[in-house]
Amino acid sequence: MEVYDLVIIGAGPAGMTAGVFAIRKGLKTVIVSEDIGGQVNMTSDIENYMGFQEIDGQALVEKFEAQVKEYQLTEKLMAVRSLKKEGNLFYIRTQSDETIVGRAVIICSGKKPKTLNVPGEEEFRNKGVSYCSTCDGPLFRGVPVAVVGGGNSAVKAALDLANYATEIHLFALSKLTADAILVERLQREPKIKVYPGHTVVEIKGSQVVERVTVERVASKERFDIPVQGVFIEIGLIPNTDFVDDTVERNELQEIKIDCLCRTNIPGLFAAGDVSSVPEKQIIIAAGEGAKAAIQAWDYLLNLPDSPMKG
Amino acid sequence: MSDITVYTTPTCPWCTRLKNYLKEKGVDFHEVDVSTDYDSAMKMVDLTGQRSVPVLAKGGQYVVGFNPEQIDRILQ
Repeated sequence: MEVYDLVIIGAGPAGMTAGVFAIRKGLKTVIVSEDIGGQVNMTSDIENYMGFQEIDGQALVEKFEAQVKEYQLTEKLMAVRSLKKEGNLFYIRTQSDETIVGRAVIICSGKKPKTLNVPGEEEFRNKGVSYCSTCDGPLFRGVPVAVVGGGNSAVKAALDLANYATEIHLFALSKLTADAILVERLQREPKIKVYPGHTVVEIKGSQVVERVTVERVASKERFDIPVQGVFIEIGLIPNTDFVDDTVERNELQEIKIDCLCRTNIPGLFAAGDVSSVPEKQIIIAAGEGAKAAIQAWDYLLNLPDSPMKG
Repeated sequence: MSDITVYTTPTCPWCTRLKNYLKEKGVDFHEVDVSTDYDSAMKMVDLTGQRSVPVLAKGGQYVVGFNPEQIDRILQ
């Protein structure tokens, strides 16, 4: 049975950074992930990752990937189905029924877009309903669209869509929480109309999206707006389906960690957006990944049967 | 020209993944950028009934999104 010193689940900024640090510490490491880059893939312009004044998400992922490939790190491109600890070893079962065994694990599985849970959302998924304006934006040239959400992703999506759509209706539950610099850009864009205190309660159409029903939160007053696209950017939920109840989580379902990235289970660490660390940013995820890898190394060094004492 | 068409947009990460996947497998394909070619964009929407990229089309069959399993099935 092949036993890895460290298994990293997820290959976003946290996972890839953890990989580089782990290998440099001499740990026999494997990264298991459904994709490379995670949410960064869905981000267009990144202007707050140090070293790059402005870089596209995909380009940053390619740079991360190139750096990881410099090292002898095993990569397995598959989703994880379950994780359990027996004795001092962790057993990770993948969707393709492979079992990976490790002495320590860092969960860096990130987050996925939250759904709105309104009638029509599932029915019109990809038929006007999209969770990726960067991908599908150009398909909405010359038509009106709606964006739901008030944070950075929603405002970025609206700004991005202004390049294609005729009008953009932005619905936010309260006032916009996006960075001031983005809100300023939004205000300069005449195609974008902001509706604070509103939410979409239904998505309607026949074959594809034709309109949305909007509700004013305070008065419950409802009205329809014709749109052909609905971009849902209302935040994210952690990817923790493969983790059982023995791993403590917070009210947001994020894996609880201390300031050393340790979970409640010895040898199990978490880093980046999936963890309870405050603030979800690429630069923070990368830093947390580095910290988790160093902590995992420290944990392994102090194991009674430490692989590093051989 | 290849009988495989890949509909993409330049900013779409999954489109890049799909193209890299096909290149790694040595599969020839013809790429259509639907952000600049409106007629093709509508042709793609008609074919799939969906407004989403990437789309891989071969004959009357198609796969929306980057789904290696379904793509392998079509390529066989």
